[in-house]
Amino acid sequence: MNHNQQSNDGKHDDDSALSDFLASLMDYTPTIPDELVEHYLAKSGFQCPDVRLIRLVAVATQKFVADVASDSLQHCKARQAAVVKDKRDKQQKDKRLILTMDDLSKSLREYGVNVKQQEYFADSPSTGMDPASRDE
Amino acid sequence: MSGVESTRDTRKGEDGPSTSLGRPKADDFGRWVSKIAVAQICESVGYQGFKGSALEALADISIRYLCDLGKNASFHANLAGRTECNLFDITRAIEDLGDSHGFPGASEIGNCLVGSGIVKEIVQFVDTKEEIPFAQPVPKFPIVRNGKLIPSFEHMNEAPPGKHIPSWLPAFPDPHTYNHTPIWNERASDPCADKIEQARQQRKAERALLRLQQRLVRNGSTGTSASLVLDATEAGSNPFLAAPLQQGEKEVSEVVLPAKLSNEVSKGDHISLLDAFAPAIDAMKTGPSDRLDGEKTFLPEKRPSVQFKFKTGKKILGESLDLSLQRKGERSSTFFLRDDERDDKKKRAEFILRQTTEYPMELNQS
Repeated sequence: MNHNQQSNDGKHDDDSALSDFLASLMDYTPTIPDELVEHYLAKSGFQCPDVRLIRLVAVATQKFVADVASDSLQHCKARQAAVVKDKRDKQQKDKRLILTMDDLSKSLREYGVNVKQQEYFADSPSTGMDPASRDE
Repeated sequence: MSGVESTRDTRKGEDGPSTSLGRPKADDFGRWVSKIAVAQICESVGYQGFKGSALEALADISIRYLCDLGKNASFHANLAGRTECNLFDITRAIEDLGDSHGFPGASEIGNCLVGSGIVKEIVQFVDTKEEIPFAQPVPKFPIVRNGKLIPSFEHMNEAPPGKHIPSWLPAFPDPHTYNHTPIWNERASDPCADKIEQARQQRKAERALLRLQQRLVRNGSTGTSASLVLDATEAGSNPFLAAPLQQGEKEVSEVVLPAKLSNEVSKGDHISLLDAFAPAIDAMKTGPSDRLDGEKTFLPEKRPSVQFKFKTGKKILGESLDLSLQRKGERSSTFFLRDDERDDKKKRAEFILRQTTEYPMELNQS
């Protein structure tokens, strides 16, 4: 009985927390605009007149993108730290953090998304050759 | 704000050449908006710049995540026998997509969705992250146009042809759009008769022109003003409109050939004009048989040949008509009518010859 009461209280707390959260969603403006979210949800068959749920979906997507971005940022910083250890003169250049395809593919792999890019394009006969021999 | 702009610039600079290629697609607007939103999110995480391809890839993935969320949520709603999604459908959809990465409480079964771990994570995210609204107002899209509907039977005030057809259905097209009716050719064309008619009109025009020229020559020979329209008084005031001097009225000096021209004449390339056009002159003398008024043509015999430069413009035809008709007994009026019969070359030769005979007179008059 105690266990039941505790679970009931827990549920009650969760309920109130959730309803409070949904109410607070109306104040919070997600970065992804509502119109965009509505467009893509309508495309995929999602029907809901409630604006709070639309905002919830927008926030969920924002969280996902933020997670991916922060993971790739960590990869980028780690790479820069490794480079800086070798050559200390290039500290000024490497301060700028730029989102690259390499970092993105590494972080997306953990989420189950396989993003691979061509390493090089063999569009000329001198591709892949040594720069010294290329001048011939 | 400057940080936002700098990232925007790098993004736009790299995207510039790529977006100019290819036709605009229906989804382009949505993709552009999502690219901006993703860039803003990345900037809030800590990035200062993006590679164009990386940003496009991330935007594409976020759109896919959104679509997958919607698909999953509607699936769960349909599974429960509903058409509209509610909070729990969305929660289940987020859990499905987050299973690969993991969230607290993922392995528990039979727990209430209200206490779902993933929702708590989202709550935490909202509480900690500062609010970044989208940079620009986004209009409601896509814009739905009102389709042009075919009017119904009621609208057209027509009775449907059968009892089985209700009147609110679109009306049938008009019978003239699908019935084949015979075409009546109202204009009867007869190619033979047309040709005969054309030849007759041509002859009529020739006769009229001949009569006009005869009249003009007669008027010129009687010594009236050169132009039929001008008054005698006008001719007296304006020396240019006066009747041209006839042969022998005024003393004219002999034209002395300058040495340069005579040298050219003696060269092999240039032949004297009279020699060149001798056959043409002979043809003209013997040619027109139906000459009027018995006027004789005369050609200067003692004048030395003068070398002139001639333009090959055909406009000389029109000018010489007036001048020749003004002169007494100069040329036969039927000359122009026989253009069809004579050679082009002969015609050119005759005109050039006439120019040479007229030019010395004009020079002396001025």
